[in-house]
Amino acid sequence: MTARTRPLMSTQDIVLISLFCAIIVALGLIPPVNIAIVPVPITLQTLGVMLAGAVLGPVRGACACALVVLLTVLGLPVLAGGRGGLGVIPGPTGGYLLGWIPGAYVTGLLVKTFAMRVSRRAPQLAAYFAACVAGGLVVVYAIGIPWTAVSTGLGMGKAAVGALYFAVGDTLKAAAAAAVAHNVRRSYPIEPR
Amino acid sequence: MRMSLYVPGTSPLHRTGARWKLAALLLCGVAVFLTTSVAVLGPAAAVALALLLSVRAPQEQLVRQLRGPLLILAAVVAVAALTESVHAALVVGLRLVVLLLSALSVTLTTRTSELQEVLELVLRPLDRAGLVNASAVALAVSLALRFIPEVFRQFQEIREAQAARGLRGSPLALVVPLVIRVLRSAEDIAAAIDARCYPPARSGHLDRQERPSGKATG
Repeated sequence: MTARTRPLMSTQDIVLISLFCAIIVALGLIPPVNIAIVPVPITLQTLGVMLAGAVLGPVRGACACALVVLLTVLGLPVLAGGRGGLGVIPGPTGGYLLGWIPGAYVTGLLVKTFAMRVSRRAPQLAAYFAACVAGGLVVVYAIGIPWTAVSTGLGMGKAAVGALYFAVGDTLKAAAAAAVAHNVRRSYPIEPR
Repeated sequence: MRMSLYVPGTSPLHRTGARWKLAALLLCGVAVFLTTSVAVLGPAAAVALALLLSVRAPQEQLVRQLRGPLLILAAVVAVAALTESVHAALVVGLRLVVLLLSALSVTLTTRTSELQEVLELVLRPLDRAGLVNASAVALAVSLALRFIPEVFRQFQEIREAQAARGLRGSPLALVVPLVIRVLRSAEDIAAAIDARCYPPARSGHLDRQERPSGKATG
């Protein structure tokens, strides 16, 4: 390993990670949007998670999400609705929070390897959307659902039905995240890492 | 905006060291999943409730932290009771109550700085093994704490500017300029930190005692 001699992260990387962590937290402070079909308030926090991967790239995106998790555990009210503290992790929704880390990684990886190679606008947007759905939805749910099942003792099936409830909002957020990431990349490109 | 959930006080939990509280919490978390006996979980839940009440946290704080989780808990217990048995529902409910309440009482009685110390304690062996860079983690945490109010302020600025031009804020139109602004400022902040030589370059010396505090943004 070269970790001993060369820093794994430059100062700029650390700053970007911290700033994006702050964006994710700030998006959770914004009053939730109520959508008529789903009787659950939609917060923009998971939008920030997908964005972290899509804009910063896999490693830094995952680090930004890990930092949010760390701040939560350190007892700061950084989650939507001013929640935080250690109790979030073992609770039924703890898996979704932890799932943000690999979720952002996968989103970033897919954007870096596929979406950025597409040159035409419409297919590129579609590729961004697919990356956000794969990372922000599939990966996050793949960790969140079994976690809920174990934490509550309910079967996987019931936990999955509960998750479907949020899938509508998260799909909408994936579309928004794809559009934002695409726009950001055009006006202020940074190299994903 | 309040940046910590810590509630000042002098309860026994306040006086216990953070690492002991965390170790106890970890043990408790494992223990509740090892038993399905209501005779054990019931009293445990009562003890957790007593602990939480001993903290004497303001009521609104407790309501805000517990409202969401308790709604989910109620739904889970209802589903368990309807599809499995009342016993299963009780076990699930009590387990989560124990975890939720005891973790909340640790969070409420421990300063962020104390938890950061425990974090450093955990990171130190990992740092030595070359897996993580503890000073980079410490820097990232303090930077994030500094940036959260700042990013939120910028968000409100953008929203006001758009409202002044008669634009109704769609999330898309708000988030794009926010992210670009933030990315743009990253370069300046990084340059400022580098100019102050923070964090110190990793060298072969592992006996470095002095760890600079994270106040590098001044």
